[in-house]
Amino acid sequence: MNNTLKVERAILNLTQDDLAKLIGVSRQTINSIEKNRYIPSTELALKLSEVFKKPVNDFFSLEKVNKTL
Amino acid sequence: MSIKSFLSRDLKRTEKINKLQLPNKFKTIGWTLFIISFVSIFIINIVISDEIIRKQLMITTKYGILLGLLIVSLSKEKIEDEYIKSIRMQSYMFAFIIGVIQSLIFPFIDFGVDSLLNGEANFEPAGDFFILWVLLLCQIMFFNILKWKANE
Repeated sequence: MNNTLKVERAILNLTQDDLAKLIGVSRQTINSIEKNRYIPSTELALKLSEVFKKPVNDFFSLEKVNKTL
Repeated sequence: MSIKSFLSRDLKRTEKINKLQLPNKFKTIGWTLFIISFVSIFIINIVISDEIIRKQLMITTKYGILLGLLIVSLSKEKIEDEYIKSIRMQSYMFAFIIGVIQSLIFPFIDFGVDSLLNGEANFEPAGDFFILWVLLLCQIMFFNILKWKANE
């Protein structure tokens, strides 16, 4: 799973701490999502979508798997 | 059983597990109890000369150590969100695996060391205090390592 959380956060000029406070999680959670170490729950993804005013698909995407036959 | 009722039952079960956790302030209480009990072991060994009293006090301090670590392990973080819950579960899993491995390996190490140092040794399983102490300590250690890694 890829994400552009860092970019979206920069557009709104928010720090990791600001964003964490806005959605009620710890700063470690935001950092781990940005570093692709943690995939958030649907609830958290929807909260992020509310903050960024964008659909979840705009900042979360599935990794493309190259299948070689 | 419908999927909806199955999910709601599963959610209730998760909420019950969450209720087992203690508020954040208990972390300080747990560490204090652990440190006092840990230091007491050395003091008791130096100060108390009576073998029976010393044995009784040692049992009490061992309970203090385990209870202190259990309180720390069950205490919530200041912000207990889904990520913290996920690393907490990971740390319990790691600790469980390490606990089982050490209880399987320790008797062999103990036997080997005893044979080398004393020439003869008895094959004895790891004690309950030792297993629980390693289990709780590993959980707390792994949890803090994972939390610290999230800061990087």
